[in-house]
Amino acid sequence: MSRWAKQIQMQCKIPAVGVASSNIVHYATGYVSKYQTGMPIRYVSVPFPFTGQPRAVDVGYVTGKDMLSGRPLMTAVISALTSPLTDEEKISGEPPEEAVEPRFLPPDSEDNLRVMFDNKEWTDFNTIILPTEKRVTEMLQGTSHKPDEVIKTINITGGARPLTVEKVAINAVMAGASPEHFPVILALATQAPFGNSTSSMANMVVISGPIRNKLKFNCGTNALGPYNRSNAVVGRAFALISKTAGDLRNNVNAWETLGNSMQYNSQCFGENEEALPQGWDPLHVEMGFKPTDNVLSVGTGWSSIASVGASQSIYPTHYLMRDYMGSFCASGSAGTVVMDPTVAGLLKDTHGFSTKAQLSEWFSQNITKVNASYWGNGVIQSTAVPFALQGLEPYAGWRKMPDDALIKPFTNPKAIHVVVAGGKVQTMWFVTDFGIRRGVLIDDWA
Amino acid sequence: MDRRKVLRFLGFSPALLTGFPAGAEKAPAGLSSQASNASDLITVMNPAIAGKLATRVPLAPPLDGLDNKTIYMVNLSWEGPDAANYFYDTMTEWLNQHYKGVKTIVKVTAEGMFGSDPSLLKAITASKADAAIVGVAG
Repeated sequence: MSRWAKQIQMQCKIPAVGVASSNIVHYATGYVSKYQTGMPIRYVSVPFPFTGQPRAVDVGYVTGKDMLSGRPLMTAVISALTSPLTDEEKISGEPPEEAVEPRFLPPDSEDNLRVMFDNKEWTDFNTIILPTEKRVTEMLQGTSHKPDEVIKTINITGGARPLTVEKVAINAVMAGASPEHFPVILALATQAPFGNSTSSMANMVVISGPIRNKLKFNCGTNALGPYNRSNAVVGRAFALISKTAGDLRNNVNAWETLGNSMQYNSQCFGENEEALPQGWDPLHVEMGFKPTDNVLSVGTGWSSIASVGASQSIYPTHYLMRDYMGSFCASGSAGTVVMDPTVAGLLKDTHGFSTKAQLSEWFSQNITKVNASYWGNGVIQSTAVPFALQGLEPYAGWRKMPDDALIKPFTNPKAIHVVVAGGKVQTMWFVTDFGIRRGVLIDDWA
Repeated sequence: MDRRKVLRFLGFSPALLTGFPAGAEKAPAGLSSQASNASDLITVMNPAIAGKLATRVPLAPPLDGLDNKTIYMVNLSWEGPDAANYFYDTMTEWLNQHYKGVKTIVKVTAEGMFGSDPSLLKAITASKADAAIVGVAG
């Protein structure tokens, strides 16, 4: 929002005032102004929620009080557009001083350092391994990359923080990883930070290729549970890197209203490639990598629905998956189904899906959703409505359809991924709304 | 009955018996340092990265009043365009009641709140708007 207000003031040379709820105003006038826009944009604040409210409620917000100043809201709007600029609002140019973070922290006791790391929100509030120089140096032995190499600049909430190999190594130590995990964690760091949205996002990390077995990632029984060190430390490292490199702090620039417990280790697991039915390619091979490549793929989404399927031949498991996937928002047509090898075998042998792609295509063609339910989701409102207003199909057409019409929101079968994991203990599966991005070659970070 | 079992039964941590709040296994800041010898001190590396402060940009000059002015109302379509439209309809009504000759233009951004819309900025300039209101978001 501040970006828009800044652009208008700079390019159109006219004053602009923002109207937002108090959390947005707090973020915009604090962190965003400091690290992103550099402009102390004037705001007025209204109660939340204002979406989904009857018109009368929103009208009342405009005729009511500005939550920042306590004055009538429109008085505050007029004041924001007409009041003389303060000295602070006239400042231009480079800031007087850059923020500084020393490479080493002042010596202290272990207990005090742990308290400080927690207070700084550099941890997930589980006990970390303190990153001594010796431990970090050992971690760096896990890659050929130089410690000062910048692997990416984290700028999602501003600050343009250069994430170096050494900073990733510090986080890898904190997460409890070993040097052999480091190339995987570096590949993962290229995808940092994790989802950070008021909508309370999370991530999914899928490991593919021979490295799964070399590092003993769990792809079988309890693949998604707390039963394996590699799954645990790599997934945890993603949270720590996201928080430290992204400077994500609660109620400062992390505004996930509910949060998401999946952020603790981002559902890190390996695909059970050895148990794939014949003809079903591993996730990374479907993306165009070689079977011998070691690849890490990150998905972003919110939720999953689990079921034991395949117990009724009259209503087979892919029907249930279809039904449950219709509950998701289908943002970007994204979905990921994680299934036990027994389910994959049934889908192939009993129901004729000879490839993952065939199953994804079937989902795309058969998942339906009530039109009003599709548009009822706030994420869809924020992302798809603008496309509809521009006349882009299928969104424009859907928006004109009756509320009770059935639409097929998963328009792109290639955005529906199928991953096989689990120990053949139960015909179990998760359908999820996670959209998996193209994988990252771990071998590039060895 | 064992007090620890009672606490567990009630859902509390037996750590309460230690006199510190549950979960506060680490000594409070300052306590341990007073008791620490220099040999107990360790040095660790800093995981944080300095953020680059943004270049400061001044606000555009304010208006001297709103009579006969054109106000551009930018609808960011956050969770849909309805709420901002309700806001802007009411604001327009209020402005017309309080300022003579004021004109408002409402436009929804092409790509919502998170995208870009260069045509909108051109349209604002072309409209000779005097000020803008941007909203709403939560």
